[in-house]
Amino acid sequence: MKTRQTDLWGAISRYGTFPFLILFSFVMLAPVYIMFKISVSEPQDILTQNPPFLIENFTFDHWVRVFEAGNLWAPLLKSFMVASVATLIAIAIAAPAAYVISLMPKAYRYGIILSLLFTRMFPDVGIALPISVNFIRWDLTDSYVGLILAHLIPNLPFLAWILVGTFETIPRELEKAALIDGASRWGALQRVVFPIAAPGIAVGAMFVWLNSWNEFTYALYLTYTENTLPLQTYYYVSRGDWFQSAAYSMILTIPVIIVTFFLQRYMKSGFLSGSVKG
Amino acid sequence: MAWVKRYRLEIVMVLPLVLYILGFSLVPVLETIRLSFVNASTNTYDLSNYVYIMSQQGFKKAFSNTIVITIVGLALQLSVALSIALLLKRAFKGRGFFRTVMLIPMGVPTIVAGVIMLYVFSTNGYFNLFLQRFNIIEAPIIWNEGGFKTLFMIIFADMWKVLPIVILLLLSGLESISEDVYEASAIDGATTWQNFWYITLPLLKPAITMALILRAIDAFRIFELPLVLAGRHTPVIGTYAYSEYRDFFNEHTSAAAATILLLMIIVFIIIYFLFVERKKDV
Repeated sequence: MKTRQTDLWGAISRYGTFPFLILFSFVMLAPVYIMFKISVSEPQDILTQNPPFLIENFTFDHWVRVFEAGNLWAPLLKSFMVASVATLIAIAIAAPAAYVISLMPKAYRYGIILSLLFTRMFPDVGIALPISVNFIRWDLTDSYVGLILAHLIPNLPFLAWILVGTFETIPRELEKAALIDGASRWGALQRVVFPIAAPGIAVGAMFVWLNSWNEFTYALYLTYTENTLPLQTYYYVSRGDWFQSAAYSMILTIPVIIVTFFLQRYMKSGFLSGSVKG
Repeated sequence: MAWVKRYRLEIVMVLPLVLYILGFSLVPVLETIRLSFVNASTNTYDLSNYVYIMSQQGFKKAFSNTIVITIVGLALQLSVALSIALLLKRAFKGRGFFRTVMLIPMGVPTIVAGVIMLYVFSTNGYFNLFLQRFNIIEAPIIWNEGGFKTLFMIIFADMWKVLPIVILLLLSGLESISEDVYEASAIDGATTWQNFWYITLPLLKPAITMALILRAIDAFRIFELPLVLAGRHTPVIGTYAYSEYRDFFNEHTSAAAATILLLMIIVFIIIYFLFVERKKDV
C-alpha cells in the first residue's frame, strides 16, 4: 500500500487561489489606474516624495490643456484615417487571397500559412529601414499614403492568416449549389461566400484597425513632422511632461478599450498568436 | 498555359497579397542585408559595418541587454502566466470576473504601457513607494540609471503588457487536456505537484512551445518599451538600429544591427527545434 504523501502544493492552490488572484488583479489594474489618476491630479499630488495612491485633488486642467493647445486633432485624425483606410485595403487584399488559400490542398495551405507567419519573424527595424530610405526618395514620409502602405506590412499576413481559418469553416456545398443555380464564380463568391464570412472578416478587421491605431515603429521611422497619436504621446514623454503624456495616453487608450470590449469573446489563442504584440 | 487559364480567378485573387508581401517584407529585408555589407566610403561590399558596430560599446550593451531581456523575460512570463492560468482553470465563483481583469493590459497600447511604467518606476514613483511602505527598501531605487535595474524595469513592463496573451495561450492549452487523465491519476493517489509535473506540463507542451516561440521573437524585437523607459542609456538591438539610422544617419550600421537581430531570431528557432523539441519527442 502506498503511503499518503503530504500534498503541500494542493493545499497552496486550494487556499491560495483567491489571495493570489486578488494580488495578480491588483498588479494588472493598478498601472491603468495610476495613468488615469495622473491625468486628473494636481501636480503637487504627483511630483512629490510620497505620492498618495488615491486621487486627492481632482482636476480636469490637463485634459483641458490638451484639448485647447490644438496639438491633438491633427495626430488624432491622422491615426484614425490611416487605421481606417489601412483596414479597408487590408480586407480588399487579404480576404480574396485567404479564400483561395482556404481551398488549397492541406499540404500547400500549411506551407503558405507557415510562410505568412515567417514574415512576422523579420525584425521591424530591418523592414522599416529600407522602407524609410525609399519613401524619402519617393516623398512618402509624413504622408498618409506612406503610413498606410507601411501599416499594411505587419497586418496583411496577420489578417490573411485569420481569414484562412474563417473561410475553412464555410461549407463548400453552398458555393457549389449557387454555381449549379447558374451563378458565376465571382457571383457565387459575392452572394454566398463573402456574406457568410462577413462576421469573421469584421472581427479580423477590428484587430487590424487596433494594430494600426497602436502602431509605433513604422510611424516613427516614416515621420519627421506630422505625428500620429502614439508618436504625439511619445513626444510628450520625451519632453518629460507627465500630465500631458498621461492625458494623451488616455485618449490613445479609450478607443482601444472600446474595440477590445467588442473583441473580447473572439480573443482565443489561435486568433492572437499572429499579433502577439498587439 | 492551360493551368493559368483554369485558375485565372484564383491567381488574380492571391496575387496582390503575394506581391505585397514580396515587395514590402521580403525585398526590404534582403535590401537591409545588402545594405549591411556596403562600405559607405568605398561603395564596395565588405564587413566594415559589422567590424564597426562590434567595436562599439553601445552595440555590445544592446546585444547583451537583448539576450537578458529575452531569457529572463520569457522565464518570468511563462512561469507567472502558467500560475495564473492554473488558478483560472479551477472552477470557482467569480472566475469570469478574474479572467476579464487579467485581460486588461491587452487593451493598453504598448507605447502607453511604457508611459505608465515610467510613472510606476520613477524614483519617487509608486513601486518605490510600495517597497518602502513594506520596509523592503530604505532609500528609493533609481530604476533608470542603467544596469540590471533598468533591464528589470523593461522586463516587468513587457511582462505586464503581454501576460494576457500568454495566459490565454496556456489556458486554452490547459482546457484541451481531458479530465480523464486527472481522474486516473487521482485513483493512483497522485499529489497536486505530481499531477502538474507528470501530466499537466507534458500535455501542455504544444501550448508552451507556441507561447515560447511567439514571445521569444517579440522579445528579441522589443522596441517601444526600451525606447520610452530607458532611451539611449540602455539600448537593445532594436533601439540601437533605430538610433544609428535616425541620430547618426548611418543606414549601413543600422542595417548591420538589424541583420544581426534577424540572425539571432533564426538561430534561436533552429536551436529550439534541434535540441528542445527533438529531445523531448523521443
